[in-house]
Amino acid sequence: MAEMVLVGNFLEAAVRSATPLGFAALGALIAERAGVVNIGIEGSLVCGAFASFVVAGLLGPEVGFLAGGLAGMSLGLVFAVFVVALRAQQIIVGAAVSMLGLGLTASLHRIAVSSTGPGAPISTFLPLQVPVLSGIPVFGQAFISQPVTTYLLYALFPLVGWGLYRTVGGIALRAVGEQPSAAVSAGHSPARIQCAALLACGFLSGLGGATLVVAQTGIYSDGMSAGRGYIAMAIVALGRWTPRGVAAGALIFGGVSALQFLTQAVNWRVPYTIVLATPYLLTLVAMAALRGTRVAPAALGQTLNRP
Amino acid sequence: MFPVLYKTLPVNNLYEILTGKIVRLSTLLIVFIGVASCWPGEGSGVAGFRVALLTPGPISDQSWNASAFTGLMRIRDSLTAQTSHIQVKTPADFEENFRQYGASGYSLVIGHGFEFQDAAARVASSYPTTVFVTTGGETVRPNVAALSFAFDEPSFLAGMAAAAASKTGIIACVGGTELPPVKASFAAFVAGAQLMRPDVRVIVTYLGNWDDTGAGKEQALALIQRRVDVIFQNADAAGLGVFQAAREREGVLVIGSNTNQNTLAPASTIGSVVVDVPHAFLLVAKEVHAKTFTARVIRLGTRDNVVRWEPGPVFGQRVARAQQQRIDSVQTVMRSGSFTTPPSPSPR
Repeated sequence: MAEMVLVGNFLEAAVRSATPLGFAALGALIAERAGVVNIGIEGSLVCGAFASFVVAGLLGPEVGFLAGGLAGMSLGLVFAVFVVALRAQQIIVGAAVSMLGLGLTASLHRIAVSSTGPGAPISTFLPLQVPVLSGIPVFGQAFISQPVTTYLLYALFPLVGWGLYRTVGGIALRAVGEQPSAAVSAGHSPARIQCAALLACGFLSGLGGATLVVAQTGIYSDGMSAGRGYIAMAIVALGRWTPRGVAAGALIFGGVSALQFLTQAVNWRVPYTIVLATPYLLTLVAMAALRGTRVAPAALGQTLNRP
Repeated sequence: MFPVLYKTLPVNNLYEILTGKIVRLSTLLIVFIGVASCWPGEGSGVAGFRVALLTPGPISDQSWNASAFTGLMRIRDSLTAQTSHIQVKTPADFEENFRQYGASGYSLVIGHGFEFQDAAARVASSYPTTVFVTTGGETVRPNVAALSFAFDEPSFLAGMAAAAASKTGIIACVGGTELPPVKASFAAFVAGAQLMRPDVRVIVTYLGNWDDTGAGKEQALALIQRRVDVIFQNADAAGLGVFQAAREREGVLVIGSNTNQNTLAPASTIGSVVVDVPHAFLLVAKEVHAKTFTARVIRLGTRDNVVRWEPGPVFGQRVARAQQQRIDSVQTVMRSGSFTTPPSPSPR
């Protein structure tokens, strides 16, 4: 029984830690399936966290959550303007956008703190119990005793899967990521599709950042995204560029950070740094094992020719 | 007219121009904005005495870095100094920014943390007219000094209070990274707890960073699930997550670090281990300003009223009178300056 409680607690923490990663990784997936590597996700995450904190303090966590998404999306727009409209190098723009997001939020926060003092914690979404389902031992505790934002993420995975594989827009999006010229001859505009993908990516990443605030900590601190944007990219690679794989990948990375907390709390004599390094090693192993089999979108990272 | 204009416009060339120069310029511009927003802000004041501060984290952390910025502002106001602050991340940044300030002729440059020692020692000889001070550490050069706080003294008292307040007999520490001053503080906390209650269990944990507030909260929740009911946090911005966990979980108490954090979660804070960084900064700055500065390790403790145990709102409710008196008596010894932390058995 004690073990079951331990496992339940662990999985609950794993899902909690995986939620912001899941949102961001889903965004990264959409962008990468459209052929764009967006390392600016970190910037969208932190902007989402900041905006959601400010807005949630005024208008409640629901509006704050949405504001986080929009803030992330506006950074996605900056990225899209440079990468798609002006065809600048993706990695360089991505790095710049990440720095912009981190610098901008820190500056705004500093102005806010020096004028009004540190913001008080906002009220957060509390775990929402679902009748019957939440009562299932272990599973219920782990997956169905989460804030409503987590349930939204559960719904988004199949939705994105459906969108990518079963709709014309989704097929066109994947075509842009694989063979842009084919998409063009089918009458689609790669630029327009990539823009849409990047806005969606920014929005989802912003929601991921907002989750950290409105569904978890209730407070904002500078740089609280703490590299989750880069982990999201590793998750997409580990998940082999599929929604299902990304869901599993997010859960693995979430599980590993929960394991870091658990191993220290129960005093297992495993250095936590080793636990922290595991998912990265796993990603490397996965990449090495997949060498030869082509799973990444063929046109990933390419700057498209002028239409 | 319009179609004609359209035809005469060098659309292709325009496109080339747009995608060539503008892209490069705009990319530069956005990199610049990104960098600029991280760049130090120059304060105003009389030119001459200039003081710079490097913090390893955001000054909005309501802890270690916030207190340093308050200290810098106090130097500015008391000595009409011109001040500059920058937040730095990596050891390469430490050194680069030390050099920047040294080359600009700053009188005093403070690296706010134990981790700045090596960089200070490396750059100091190149800028002999600048005094480099690290908050923490033991490194001394002709123009390098270290502020060393007896952080272990109030940590010891915090351990006594935590053990007295705990109902389960299991208490914990949450640290940012395993910096020696943090480890020393936790060791003193363990020793204090064991003095108060020999059968107490103390779990010492580290997050691996100082920024991840979400991780701070998760670590606290994992500890609470292991029946920990008092948590001593020393993780700066990440530690704010520990307070959030305590706000959400009935009966869980927190002890704050560095600044007086007793108001962050008033209903669940036993007290704070406070370092009066502004006081210490001003002390050094005055010496440098008056040109009486000598390079040394400047040790400041309870006796100097620079570190102290600050009981919080629930201290009186959760710690019995007799135990409070024991804490007071140890504090009296510390004030006399004759306190040494008893060597503790290894934590855990």
